[in-house]
Amino acid sequence: MSSHGERSPEANLSLLDATMIGMGAMIGAGIFVLTGLAAEIAGPAAILVFVLNGVVTAFTGLSYAELASSIPKSGGGYAFVREVFDDLSSFLMGWMLWFAYMIAGGLYALGFAPNFLELLHVYDVTPAPGAVGAIALPAVDAAIPVGVVLASVAVLFLVGLNALSTAASGSVETIFTLIKVSILVVFVGFGIASPMFSSAEFQPLFADGNGPFSLLPAMGLTFIAFEGYDLITTVTEEVKNPRENIPKAIFVSLAVTVVVYLAVVGVAIGTLGASGLAAAGEAGIAQAATEFMPTGLPVIQNGGAIIVFGAVFSTLTALNAVVIASSRVAFSMGREEQLLPSFGRLHHRYGTPFVAILASGVVMLASVVLPTQSAGNMSSLFFLLSFIVVNASVIKLRRERPDMNRPYEMPYYPVPPILGILLNLLLTGVLIRYLLRTDTLALLLSIGWIVLGGVAYGVHLLLRTDDDDPDTASTTSGDD
Amino acid sequence: MASHRNVIIAGGGRVGFQTAITLDDRGHDLTIIERDPDRCDSIADEYVATVIQGDASNPDILEQADVESADVIAGLTGEPGLNLAVCMEAAAMAPGIRTVARIDSRRREAYGRFVDETVFPEDAGARVAVNEIEGSDVRSISDVTGDLDILEIRVDEGAPAANKELRAVRFPAGTLVISDDDGNRVARPDTTLTPGRHYVIAVDPDVADEVLNLLRG
Repeated sequence: MSSHGERSPEANLSLLDATMIGMGAMIGAGIFVLTGLAAEIAGPAAILVFVLNGVVTAFTGLSYAELASSIPKSGGGYAFVREVFDDLSSFLMGWMLWFAYMIAGGLYALGFAPNFLELLHVYDVTPAPGAVGAIALPAVDAAIPVGVVLASVAVLFLVGLNALSTAASGSVETIFTLIKVSILVVFVGFGIASPMFSSAEFQPLFADGNGPFSLLPAMGLTFIAFEGYDLITTVTEEVKNPRENIPKAIFVSLAVTVVVYLAVVGVAIGTLGASGLAAAGEAGIAQAATEFMPTGLPVIQNGGAIIVFGAVFSTLTALNAVVIASSRVAFSMGREEQLLPSFGRLHHRYGTPFVAILASGVVMLASVVLPTQSAGNMSSLFFLLSFIVVNASVIKLRRERPDMNRPYEMPYYPVPPILGILLNLLLTGVLIRYLLRTDTLALLLSIGWIVLGGVAYGVHLLLRTDDDDPDTASTTSGDD
Repeated sequence: MASHRNVIIAGGGRVGFQTAITLDDRGHDLTIIERDPDRCDSIADEYVATVIQGDASNPDILEQADVESADVIAGLTGEPGLNLAVCMEAAAMAPGIRTVARIDSRRREAYGRFVDETVFPEDAGARVAVNEIEGSDVRSISDVTGDLDILEIRVDEGAPAANKELRAVRFPAGTLVISDDDGNRVARPDTTLTPGRHYVIAVDPDVADEVLNLLRG
C-alpha cells in the first residue's frame, strides 16, 4: 500500500470496485474455511448461522456507513475511533483490530493448506488429506505438519511480496472477487442440479438436540466472515463520490454476501450432509464439490477441481487482503504515535510500510501453529470487540458533535448502534463462554494480547511523558 | 509534533477550501467549519475534511471541532473580524494552539498582538497574476517578508546595466542583488549582469521601478 506519495490522489474506484473489495473479503476464505466448522457446531442450521450473522453485522454496517461518510479518512475502523475517543480507548481499539486481522491471516493460511492439498489430491499428486472416513483424528494429526509448513510458506510469501512492493494491493480486487463469485455460482448451479441435492436432508435442523442455542457459538466462530466492510472503509479516499458510494457499497456487499452464503451453505449441506461437511472441516466446500461436479472434462479432468481451485485462490487472496489490512492498522497507529514511530514510516526504498508489515507477519506466522478453530474464534472475538467500539463511536460522535456534517445519516438512530452493541456483546459473551468450555488456550492468548497491549501502552506513555528524546524511546520500548 | 497536524479551518469558501485540499495532499488531518449547508455538502463530496456546519465564532461549534487536540486553527472566512474572533476564542480554549487569520489589507502588524500569523490571500494572488502578466522577465519569488519584494529579473539586451559589473552599477538605496547568473552563486562585486540571464534581487517597493529601468531598459 502506498497511501502517501506515489499513489495518484484522484478517486478512481467505482461503486462496483468498492462493493467488490467488501465482498472479496466476505466471500473469500470464510465461506470455504468456516462452513465445515460451522456445520460441526450447529448442524444443518449452519445456514441460519450465516443469515443471522448477516443481520447482526448489518447494524454495525450502518455505523460504518455513517462514520465513513462523515470522517474523510481511509484508515477503517481505527481511524474513526481515533477521531472520537481518547488515547487509551483508540489505542486498544487499534490494538484489537490489528490482532483480529493478523489472526485472520493465520486462519486463512490454515484454510489455504488443506485446500491446496485437496487440489493436489484431485490430480493424484498426493494421497487424500485425511478427510475420508469417520475416524478423522489420526489422519488430521498426520496432516498437521504439512499443513503448518504450507500455511507458513503462504504467509511468508505474501508478507514478503507486500513488504517489497506495493503492486499486490492494487484494484485487481474486482477481478479476483468476480472470479471467486463465478466459481461459487458454478458450485451452486451444479449442486442444485445434482441428484444428491434432490434428496437433501435438513432434519433435524439443530445438532445434538441442543436447540437454537447451538447457533450462537457457531455465529461467534463465523462472525469473522462478515468483517469485509471494514476493508471498504480503508480505501474510501480512492472511491468516487464516497459519501454516496461508501454506504451503498457497504449495504450491497452485505446483502449479496448473505445471499451467496445462503446458496453455497445450502448446497453444501444438501449434498454432503451436515455431518459429512463437518468431517471435511476446512476443506468442506471443496469436498462437497468433488462429490457432485462432473468428471472427465478436458484439461482439468475433474470438475470439482474448479471449486478446489476457487478455495485455494480465495484463501490466498484473502490472506493477501488481511496482510495489507493488518499492516494498514499498524501503520495508522504508528502515524498517530500510538505505536513506535517506525511503524508509521514508509520504507525509503520499497515505499511500503515495511516495519508494520513485518511485525504483522511475525504474529501471523506464529498464529499458524494454532488449530484452525482457535484462530477463527480469536479473530471473531476481536472483530466483535472492535465493532462494539465502532458502534459506540457513532453514539458518542452524535452526542458530542451534533452539528457535524453527516452526508449519510442512519435511519432510526439510536436503535441500530444500540442493537449492534447489544448483539455483538451477546455474541462476545457466548463466544467467551464457549471458549471457556472448549478452547482455553485461545481465551488465554486473547487475554494475553490485551494485557500485552496494556503494558505496551503504559511503557509508551511513560516514555512519552518523561523524556523528549525519541531515540531513547525507540531503543528501550522493544515490547511490540 | 508528528509530521501531520490537526488543523481546523474556519470558513470553507474558496480560500479555506483550496487550503484544505493542499493540506490534505500533504497528509494533514483537517476539520472545516462552514456556515452554508450547501457549501458543506460540496466540501463533503471532495472528502478532504471533517465538516462541522455552523458559525465558527459560536463556542459550541468551535468545541465540536475539537480545538483541544488541534495544532493549528486558521480563520479563513472573508470577514477579518470573524477570523480574529475565531482565533482568539480558540487560543483561549487551547492556549498552545497556533493561530492564523486571513486579513484584508497589508497591515499585518496590527493583528500581530492577537494571532500568530496573518495571510492576505488577495495580495498573494495579485503577485501571481502580476507574474503571469509580465511573463518570464520579472517574477515575484516570495512574500515571506513584509513589504520587501524578492524578484527574479531577466536582464535585457540594451538595458542600462547590461554587460556591466555590479560594482560599476549604481542601484538605488534599498536594492540588494542576491544571486548570480540564473541563481547558481551569491552575487559579488565582480558579477557581470549578462543579458538574457536571471538575477534574484531584493528591492523596496518604492525603488522597484528604478531597478527595473536599469535592468530591463
